[in-house]
Amino acid sequence: MKEIKDKMIAQIKAVFPEAVNKDYDGNRLDLTVNKEAVPSVLLYLKDSMGFRHLSHIAYVDWIEQGEFELVYILWSPLDKVKLYVHTRINRENPVIENIDMIWRQANTYEREIREMLGIEFTGLVAPDEFILEDWDDIPPFRKDFDTLEYVNRTFWHRPGREDAQDVRSTISERSGEEIPDFAKKYSR
Amino acid sequence: MEYILIKVLEAMATFVLAFIVGMTYGGVVRKITGRVHNRLGPPWYQNFIDAFKLFSKTRGIHHGAMHFLGAAFLMVTSVVSLMIIPILAPGGHAWYNSWFTNLNFNGDLIFLIYIMTFGPLGMAMGAGQTGNPNSSIGVTRGLSQMVGFEIPWVMALVALMITYKTTSIVDFMNIQRETGTWLMFANPFAFIAAVLAMLGMFRYSPFDIVGAPTELASGPVSENGGKFLFTMMSSGSVFTFAKLVLYVDLFMGGANNLIMLVVKTFLLYMIPVLYGIVSPRYRTEQAVRWFWGWPTFIGLLAILYAVMF
Amino acid sequence: MYNDKNSKKIVETIQNWARSHSIWVLAYGTGCGAIEISPTMTSRYDAERLGFRGAATPRQADVMLITGYLTVKTVKRVVRVYEQMQSPKYVVGFGSCTINGGMYYDSYNTINLLDRYLPVDVYINGCMPRPEAVLAGLSKLQQIIREGNANGAEKYLENLAWYKENQRKIAPNWIAKAPDLNW
Repeated sequence: MKEIKDKMIAQIKAVFPEAVNKDYDGNRLDLTVNKEAVPSVLLYLKDSMGFRHLSHIAYVDWIEQGEFELVYILWSPLDKVKLYVHTRINRENPVIENIDMIWRQANTYEREIREMLGIEFTGLVAPDEFILEDWDDIPPFRKDFDTLEYVNRTFWHRPGREDAQDVRSTISERSGEEIPDFAKKYSR
Repeated sequence: MEYILIKVLEAMATFVLAFIVGMTYGGVVRKITGRVHNRLGPPWYQNFIDAFKLFSKTRGIHHGAMHFLGAAFLMVTSVVSLMIIPILAPGGHAWYNSWFTNLNFNGDLIFLIYIMTFGPLGMAMGAGQTGNPNSSIGVTRGLSQMVGFEIPWVMALVALMITYKTTSIVDFMNIQRETGTWLMFANPFAFIAAVLAMLGMFRYSPFDIVGAPTELASGPVSENGGKFLFTMMSSGSVFTFAKLVLYVDLFMGGANNLIMLVVKTFLLYMIPVLYGIVSPRYRTEQAVRWFWGWPTFIGLLAILYAVMF
Repeated sequence: MYNDKNSKKIVETIQNWARSHSIWVLAYGTGCGAIEISPTMTSRYDAERLGFRGAATPRQADVMLITGYLTVKTVKRVVRVYEQMQSPKYVVGFGSCTINGGMYYDSYNTINLLDRYLPVDVYINGCMPRPEAVLAGLSKLQQIIREGNANGAEKYLENLAWYKENQRKIAPNWIAKAPDLNW
């Protein structure tokens, strides 16, 4: 496995010198590339290196650094290697190239990301609404979206929830039990 | 005038009898199904409560004039076939038997073959009007299945007609009384073919492909609630009773009194019910292939038997 | 004679008795909890002995059993199904999520109070309620029907503007396009 991964890294580095790799145990391999290079890297990985399957497109909101991260998770059925291709996008102007001509199923993931995170994919042809219907707020999976505030504004709360006690501390007070320090941070 | 009034009264008595017996059979079948499933099951009168509840629904929307024809045609079919079929055999108590003779005439068997396909056709029109896709699929399946079971059924009847040179149900009952042999023994192939066709006619599993609840959301009746469903439910019960009486008349020598009638029809009814409880569902083409296999072959044997002997 | 007050009351009593003993349930199980319906109906708890039966379509159903949470998307379908049902019709909220949002109380796409959108007759508490609790809730519904207090359909028609306003708040474009009670 180690030799296969080393050979892959060498091959990728030969074509895309700016790609940064990070190695993990087992069959996992991570790769960080620029946002502009994503389509060409993915196309190369699919056509020349046997990563024929796109498992998922994961997304992370790094709000402190002002960036979104997209992770394209690929799988090579021949070499049994899974490859995570990371890329970062500026949070102010989130635009990235659409890749659904490489894998058809990317269309669905991109629709979800466009709706839930507000990232625009240039050239993506898909209906506007996917999971949310009649949505008129900022995309709900952004970290600056306050769900509780939205719920207070949109739905109602039934009275009776305010005195909700923490189960762990209530039980420990009742029985005189000491909560260990490491458990306190999980307790509300 | 008085004669006609009495006839009308008799017809109403027949209908009430068929309604009560048919609904009770429905409840008993639900009870038996429950017992087979190792449940307690609903009480035997559950169907009456259901029917009354459906009748007392306060709102029932319709989808246009044709929608009414579905329920109306089903009711017309049930009532007309009930009026055509003689309920009791000739030769019992004179006043008692004359109550249930109603409208039967010499050609009634041929008329019955026609009128029994009339209800599904009306249902097809009504279901088409509702615009529910499940209804259309259900109607298509129902007509396919009818094409399947009509062939052995008609073959069995034709075999009887060839043998005894008559198309009157009363004549058949007279023949059985005179010879002392039920037709199910006189021409066993015809009886077997008719019973196999009956499995499809009563639409229990494995031939419940028309109203398959999990697949089609009850098929043609899916847009009917409240009083529409009440009409369909009661007409179905009446039709069940009418078909059972027809089988008893043709193959089991008819019945001289109502108790005998109930016993015979109930025993006959248990064939599709008990076979249905333990069976999964066929697909449409499997059902049609099943009917065009052995039942049709046995029907052919029945005709050969009738022609040769 | 058949129009005076007392005979109407008698007829109503009989009808309510029949309604309470013949309840056709439309299980709306898009959330969790639909798995509790199967043991309720099958041989262990056998709800059919009390007159409960599954209904295949909304037109034939009397009770809509809403199991689990409802998202903004499913609440539209629930409203549509409810308006397709023929009155008298009842709604049973099943599980904590229909009562106050349950564990999804701060989720952006699940509603918290079902009774703001539909008139609910009986709530069954629990996450998830066991089949015994389901039977207890349905028996409570039977009792309410027998007493003649299960008038959710009339309540919905009387307060239609209020209910529609609440529905419009979460689904503005959809309510504008939907027909009024005539699916």
